[in-house]
Amino acid sequence: MKQQRAYLWVTLSIILLTIALKLFGPSIDLVNIALVYLLPVLLSAVYGGKGPSLFAAGLGVLIFDFFFVPPHLSFSVTDLRYLVSFAIFLFVAALTGSLASKLKLQLEYSKQREAHTASLYALSKEMNAFADLEPLLRHTCFQVSSSVQSEAVIYLPSGQGELALAASSSIPPIWGMNESETVIARWVYSQGERAGKGANTLREASGLYIPLRIEEKTYGVLGVHLGAAAPNPETLRLLNALGEIAASAIGRLKLGEEAKLVHLTAESERLRTAILDSVSHELRTPLATVIGSATALIENDDLFGREDRTELLSTIRDGALRMNRLVSNLLGMVQLESGMLTLRKKWCDVEDMIGVVLKQVEDFRQQRVIRVRLPEHVPLILGDEVLLEQVLVNVVSNAIKYSPDRSEITMLVDEEEEAILISIHDQGIGIGPADRERIFDKFYRAESSKHVPGTGLGLAICRGIIELHGGTIAAGSNNDKGTVITISLPLHDDHRSRAVHAEGGMELP
Amino acid sequence: MTSEQKGARILVIDDEPQIRKLLKVTLQAHQYEIEEAATGEEGIVQCSIAHPDLVVLDLGLPDMSGMDVLVRVREWSSVPIIVLTAKDREADKIKALDGGADDYVTKPFGMGELVARIRVALRHVAKSVQEPILKFNELIIDLAQRSVMRSGERVKLTPTEYDLLKLLAANADKVITQRQLLQQVWGGHHSETESHYLRVYISHLRKKLEEDPTMPKLIVTEPGIGYRFVTPDPEI
Repeated sequence: MKQQRAYLWVTLSIILLTIALKLFGPSIDLVNIALVYLLPVLLSAVYGGKGPSLFAAGLGVLIFDFFFVPPHLSFSVTDLRYLVSFAIFLFVAALTGSLASKLKLQLEYSKQREAHTASLYALSKEMNAFADLEPLLRHTCFQVSSSVQSEAVIYLPSGQGELALAASSSIPPIWGMNESETVIARWVYSQGERAGKGANTLREASGLYIPLRIEEKTYGVLGVHLGAAAPNPETLRLLNALGEIAASAIGRLKLGEEAKLVHLTAESERLRTAILDSVSHELRTPLATVIGSATALIENDDLFGREDRTELLSTIRDGALRMNRLVSNLLGMVQLESGMLTLRKKWCDVEDMIGVVLKQVEDFRQQRVIRVRLPEHVPLILGDEVLLEQVLVNVVSNAIKYSPDRSEITMLVDEEEEAILISIHDQGIGIGPADRERIFDKFYRAESSKHVPGTGLGLAICRGIIELHGGTIAAGSNNDKGTVITISLPLHDDHRSRAVHAEGGMELP
Repeated sequence: MTSEQKGARILVIDDEPQIRKLLKVTLQAHQYEIEEAATGEEGIVQCSIAHPDLVVLDLGLPDMSGMDVLVRVREWSSVPIIVLTAKDREADKIKALDGGADDYVTKPFGMGELVARIRVALRHVAKSVQEPILKFNELIIDLAQRSVMRSGERVKLTPTEYDLLKLLAANADKVITQRQLLQQVWGGHHSETESHYLRVYISHLRKKLEEDPTMPKLIVTEPGIGYRFVTPDPEI
């Protein structure tokens, strides 16, 4: 269409030129007229290409011969020297035409290149923004697809190491799924060489397959569905460049993942060592005392007086209780971590819970004084009574464990706008600022507490339980003398209406 | 220990030989006669043959769940049953108690605790006729008059508070689940979320009856299960 219009324009301009020359003809020299006819040749060469320029040259020679070369209005030439002129005219026309069209082609190429470079630049910039593999692959497919106007897919090795389709420019993929396509992709992946249309291998395939490789490592394969024609070198160059960008982006993500994995492995290794240390120590120490005391009693029963026997038997009981605590803590931790722990939420009375806690630590507190300060009216909270009591027992036990006998421990309850605060103050060894967050990590024990037996699990479990309730637990300093553990539990929206309702519904004595 | 409790026959249903051995040795030392069953099926058979005065039943049996044994025995027998359960199995405990068990003991348990529970359960069977006046040291509940006296002074209770106290005191030393309390005091329809009524009334009762409501000695909370009215030690 465009080509036809070029021929039309050439014909039209030559006709107009001829009419103009005919009008002013007599005053112009024949050589100049010949030069004027070169004008449409040059113009058509620049704008129309090789064909129109040759056509312009031919038509120009014919019309020049017909109208201007004597005898006029005839194609016959009297002076044979004119034939040489015609030949030179045609030669010049052909030369300029081909030069101009080459120039034009080059211009187009450089324009295309510029566009490609721009799209490559844009892609490489976008690639760095992706943190996950999947969106990155999808984006690459879209970019490739829009650059070459066809289907693009990416194959990556799956978990089992088998290459499989990982992303496609169309969802669901319409190309690249069938057996023959996958087989070529696998070959390309294993060889690290491109194949398919436009490559040296498997030219008859329906697409081109480019390995996504950086240095010696192939990450996957980029497949492009091409039409019947082989891709031009510029397209090939572009596809290669896109492939490289994609490969380096995938490589970057994979390296990041590997680094994360290495970090995780190191972390789990550290945890495993901590578990082993803690469990073996916390299990072996009481076991040693239990076995030692029991065998002593069995083997040398007659050696011990009444008091000694009671002493040994208490040792056995205490050792077993200690192991029981460890087992409970381990099971609690496992339940928390596996998400098996479900809350059985009910309305709980904090005062009641504190009563249960105080009863549980009664024997253990020795001469320490535990004071409880409650507000006039304590709102009910919605929570798992048993677990919350476990938290309070843990925290109060810690307060007892790490503070001297005859010291004072205070439990304070405060009501805030949307939460109830329970704080436990002791006058014990305290927690350094650096450890105040870490003591809630599992198996972590502060350096200053190492002389007291413990698993390093209690507070981790406490935090787990409190967080399940949507609350917080934090450690602080009790005026530079001991520790304050503050537990904040959210108040349920209708706790007030419920409490009021219950009061209002009361019968009067 | 009352005289009729001596020689009471106790059936122990537990699959662990170690636990059976421990229970046999210690309970025999407390003058009880012991029968043993290692499986649920055997336990049910023993229940009908040996006619025990009390059953100690482990809820975790290999052949059938202890719950099933409980249900099957309850179909024809009202023998007191004390269940043994693992820690943090509150749901099981409540299910067993609501399903007819008289009390529970959590493993690992102290022998003293188990013996105390056995005594309470046997005592409640022996006490067939309900006495009109319940006396707990300085606390006297007159069921005929519906009055409560504490250290010689009348304690003013609302009807609901009184019903709650009566139910707890009549089952002194036995655990009563929240559900049982709600059902028997408030009647048929109630939802689990209404447990806050119970909380509020228990709190009121404690304020009126306990010396230190933050350290209750009479109405003791069984975490996650319910409440237990504890008979105070006789004053010397």
